[in-house]
Amino acid sequence: MRSGGKAWVVLVLALVVLLLLGLGIFGWYRSGYDRAVNLEQGAQKAWADIDAALQRRLDLVPNLVETVKGYASHEKELFENIAKSREKYFEADTRAGKIEASNELSGFLSRLLMLQENYPQLKASENFRDLQVALEGTENRIAVARTRYNEAARLLNSYSRQFFGSFFCRRAKVEPVEYFEAGEQAKKEAPKVAF
Amino acid sequence: MRRFFFAPAATLLLMMAGTVGYGKADLPMPRHYVEDYANVINDSDERSLNGVLQELEQKTGAQYIVLTVQTTGGAPIEQFAIELAEKWRLGQKGKDNGMLFVIAVADRRYRFEVGYGLEGFVTDQYCGRAGREVLAPYLKQGNYSRGIYEANLQIVQKIAEEAGVNLSGMPTLAPVPVGRVSRKGLPCCSILPILFFILLVFGGIGRGMGWWFFLPFMFGGFGGRGGYGGYGRSGSYGGGSFGGGFGGFGGGMGGGFGGGGASGSW
Repeated sequence: MRSGGKAWVVLVLALVVLLLLGLGIFGWYRSGYDRAVNLEQGAQKAWADIDAALQRRLDLVPNLVETVKGYASHEKELFENIAKSREKYFEADTRAGKIEASNELSGFLSRLLMLQENYPQLKASENFRDLQVALEGTENRIAVARTRYNEAARLLNSYSRQFFGSFFCRRAKVEPVEYFEAGEQAKKEAPKVAF
Repeated sequence: MRRFFFAPAATLLLMMAGTVGYGKADLPMPRHYVEDYANVINDSDERSLNGVLQELEQKTGAQYIVLTVQTTGGAPIEQFAIELAEKWRLGQKGKDNGMLFVIAVADRRYRFEVGYGLEGFVTDQYCGRAGREVLAPYLKQGNYSRGIYEANLQIVQKIAEEAGVNLSGMPTLAPVPVGRVSRKGLPCCSILPILFFILLVFGGIGRGMGWWFFLPFMFGGFGGRGGYGGYGRSGSYGGGSFGGGFGGFGGGMGGGFGGGGASGSW
């Protein structure tokens, strides 16, 4: 009888240990999986903010171009380039495409702002100054959103390269995302603004 | 003179740090609405502005901090401002009604940083005009105190108007000439989903590198506040260890910022 009782205790203990182990593994799996999902959500949210900031800039462009045209009508090539890269952004359906188009636009816009050095009347226009502030505001919003997005992307991408992280990312069908690098052109022609 | 020696050192440190990222601007949570580290605001303006800002928070909930420093230590003022605004979490959570004015006297740069919730009426253009037409003329004359006082009251006035409250401490001001703006707010991209949890997660990153970044400035001041002495706190106002007393700022409440506002120089 006594040895039967012992076996019983051992069996129960083994079951409890197995149960705890199972719970532990389940918890670990769930938190790893959730982490992958959350990181992706974070990156998506951050991208939505970039998108909104870029959109805001695009909304501003026609008004800005119209104003500059009033003073510098023969800079046709620049106006056309701006219109083209604006179109390009709308047509882009991937993040990489949008990043490229918006970097291109950044370059043209900073050239547009630089026109004020050649056209003193433009520089003196209150309307232009307001638009310039608005453009700087959107550029700054883009920069802020970009920093946040890149941070979110970095967390996601490094998780997806980790040993367990990559496993969970595959399970949750989460893929690494593209960084938003400022374009070469934008780096060279950072908008320099004098008040 | 000192800054001419230390500015290159700071730049060098920045370069050694590699990419300029988040988490560099590091000042302790303000204890008053006006934090005059550069000591350019006179006592009566400081007291008056502090009172108005306190009343603004009591009546509208908007948290508005006015900060003066000698230098941002090489960082663009836009970056400096948003890092502090985020770190201090100015504004109420959900209402995002935080506001930070920063002026870096030696850099000759200033910035109005506007929380998400205020962007609709404290537009970039409005800030730009308050800067160009109210602040800058005073700064050019060297009258920093008056310029900071009046320009910020213009913004305060706007926030109070929008909230429909009267501030008893508010002096009468000539309005900023904004009538000519052909187009006020932009079709504002629907106020964005709050990024806070991201900030919470990432907030800690990079903070570790904060203290040595300011090392070059530490020698410039009297070390009143740990490593940040170089900002040279005025000490004439407040300065006690109590927070939340009269004129005291109770701390940020988790408002969000998205980079709205305007900057300028003189």
